Amino acid sequence: MKKLISRILLGVGILASSACTKIDNFKAPDASFEGRLIDVSTGGSFQTSTGSVRIKLEQISWSETPSPQEIPSKMDGTYKDSKLFKGKYRITPIGGAFWPVYEPVEMDISSGSNHDFELTPYLVIKNLTQVLTGTSLKLKFNIESPVEAGLPKILDAQPYVNTTRLVGAGASIREYSETKKVDINKNWADMTAADKTIELTIPDLLPGRSFFVRVGVRLDDSYKSSNFSEIIEVKVP
Amino acid sequence: MKKINKLIIALSIGLGVSISSCQKLDIAPVNVLTDDIIFSSESGINSYLADIYRQAPMEDFTYRPEGRDGKGFNIHHEWEHFWRSGAVTGEMVGPYGGMDIGGGFGYWPYDKIRSINYMIQTLPLYTSKLTEAKVNQLTGEAYFLRAFFYFALAKRYGGVPIVKTVQNYPEQTIEELQVHRDKEEDLWNFIGEDLDLAYSLMPETSVSGKANKYVAAALKSRAMLYAGTIAKYGSVNFVDGDARSAGYVGIPADKANGFFTKAVDAAKLLEGHYSLYNKNANKELNYADAFLDNSSPENILVRDYSISGRTAHSWDAVYSPRPMTGDGLSRAYPTLDLVERFSMLPITNADGTPRRFNNLSDLLPGLEPRLLATVYFPGATLRGLPFDTQRGIYPSFNGTAAAEVAKLPTERSYRLAGGTDALYEGKRIIGITGIRTAGDDYTRTGFYVRKYIDYKRPQNECILFNSTTHWIEFRYAEVLLNRAEADIELNNSADALTCLNLIRSRAGAPAFNAVDVTVNGVRNERCKELAFENHYWWDLRRWRTADVVLDNARFKGLMPYYVSNENKFIFLSEPETFGRNYNFDKKYYYEPIPGGELGKNPNLYPNNPNY
Repeated sequence: MKKLISRILLGVGILASSACTKIDNFKAPDASFEGRLIDVSTGGSFQTSTGSVRIKLEQISWSETPSPQEIPSKMDGTYKDSKLFKGKYRITPIGGAFWPVYEPVEMDISSGSNHDFELTPYLVIKNLTQVLTGTSLKLKFNIESPVEAGLPKILDAQPYVNTTRLVGAGASIREYSETKKVDINKNWADMTAADKTIELTIPDLLPGRSFFVRVGVRLDDSYKSSNFSEIIEVKVP
Repeated sequence: MKKINKLIIALSIGLGVSISSCQKLDIAPVNVLTDDIIFSSESGINSYLADIYRQAPMEDFTYRPEGRDGKGFNIHHEWEHFWRSGAVTGEMVGPYGGMDIGGGFGYWPYDKIRSINYMIQTLPLYTSKLTEAKVNQLTGEAYFLRAFFYFALAKRYGGVPIVKTVQNYPEQTIEELQVHRDKEEDLWNFIGEDLDLAYSLMPETSVSGKANKYVAAALKSRAMLYAGTIAKYGSVNFVDGDARSAGYVGIPADKANGFFTKAVDAAKLLEGHYSLYNKNANKELNYADAFLDNSSPENILVRDYSISGRTAHSWDAVYSPRPMTGDGLSRAYPTLDLVERFSMLPITNADGTPRRFNNLSDLLPGLEPRLLATVYFPGATLRGLPFDTQRGIYPSFNGTAAAEVAKLPTERSYRLAGGTDALYEGKRIIGITGIRTAGDDYTRTGFYVRKYIDYKRPQNECILFNSTTHWIEFRYAEVLLNRAEADIELNNSADALTCLNLIRSRAGAPAFNAVDVTVNGVRNERCKELAFENHYWWDLRRWRTADVVLDNARFKGLMPYYVSNENKFIFLSEPETFGRNYNFDKKYYYEPIPGGELGKNPNLYPNNPNY
């Protein structure tokens, strides 16, 4: 019996000691990359949402034809990835409602790298006002276009309503958001001044609750992306 | 004594082994088939071809659009036919949670294309043994098959490398084998040229399951129509990127009419050789039989299945509810949106209140026979059993249908149930065939698929891997629709009207007038005629309308209810019971080049836009 136990222990000992052998020839990714997305028309943060702006990274020091990886942006218009391999990258912001960036940034990424991107939005949402009558919320705003020539067709406008500050496409209450969409389907040149003032109504909000609300205007670009307003809080008495 | 015997035996065995071992083992390996064995006899070639036909990209019963184990075609032992492209496009709703098929499954059949190229290269060496006519026929089949594989690639990826000779490794270097992408336009033209060759080389007839010259013409009409619409609509609605600037995806708009003309010309070649199935005066039964009758003059190319060959499929077991089959289960159901393409159903009175019916089946008279033969309505029967589909019971019903549907579920007075044992005043709340509050093995929309359902097959034979109904890959109705659509794009509406009215007459639908012959008119006719045949997905893509049709789309069902105090039935048009959203990202107009291939061959870059 003792023999058996000592043999088992010997076996365990061998396994345990061999398990310590280093076999990974790569260091863990320790480079990081972060920054802000800046709306050049306002100088503030570019308004994003779930599934909106991403930062596309291509590690050109690894291969001439690298498979792209993406960093999704946060709702406040910043992004961060702290688990990247050190190297030279080609970096392009994609996916949101801004004029495409045709000249990607090429830079070396090591620990603590950062870069801010200046983006020109297709549309800027201005003068968002809220009027609450009973439980019915009326939102009114104007849209402006920093660059008019070649603007993709404007598809529709809709409110996004949620009970948390995380509000936007894919993070909203359907009955207060999707179903309150207003179709526009016009090119910018065909829109009158009146068309550019948009009113959205959300009736029957639950009383006694706080909602976080923003509006978005969607364009027919490659991503069918939306320009978003800032988030406002609405307290329904 | 025994010992001596053993010794003798051992010695003789040893002697025998050592004597025979002196023979030189220099015979041709008997388990390797050489070119001579395969290409010098018809049976040898037939077995070589059979393998290619078996793998041909037919999106048949077993086709799985998002793939399974890296494959989408001819998956071994696939029975779950409800994973179907119709179930993300709104023809049906099914198990897909949304746009689960946009990225494809990495289809890359260059191994089959190599087999075909090898055959094209080798056959001429055997002309003396096979006769010239035979070599021509087989070469024609090879060109058809090559075009078929390239067609399946072109509609997924746009331009891919055109490889028309056999590549050899290690005789050729890796650099030589890393071929470049070709332009999308060149690929479609190449497909057209291969099909012209195939048409000129093949005879007029063939055995079931094999190509003849008209099969090549049918594929050409389909392929050229695809290319024409991609040129026309893809130059308006597109995703920008390097692959587009280089011409790997997208065709210049001015090339559209050339392709449309080729589509019409190819379709006209079949005229007089095939006709629509019209054997039965009962239009509904006739349309159902058109998909079941082996001898249909409409069938251009079919794929056959057999139980003994272990190729049988499970369509009958997975598209009808379990009480009407032997085993299996269903999970994909036609939508009211598809049904309303035929006509709006007379379920609402002029004042907006739901029409009252004595029986569910009272809705059916007056509906288009083709519609009734395409989907099973509540009130229809199959194998002697009624579709008693009923979503619930209203103790009483007041007001309009629209007002009722707009209410929150909690405000509605209906009784729903999760199973057939739930009763209201002694009556079953839901039907045996649905609609349940949970689960999806009974209908979510009120309808079941009827197309290709073998209604004469006994219930106990409707089990998994037991259906042998052939799949019709090319049928004359599609060729007529290809022709009509290309005609309309070319402003040749008289010819289109003739084609469409042939189809509508067989369908039992009123004839079209000249004003009905529009792009939308022909597209709608195509959606109805070819429903559930895996066309709609590709049609939405080549029309570049998928991102509009599938824009956060939710689809509807037809919900039958029993109104208890009136002893009547009503039908309400409501969202299907799962309330799923379907979206299409514009980048899905092309699938991404498979990552594994990109890794092996950097010349396949740039990848398609936005991947």
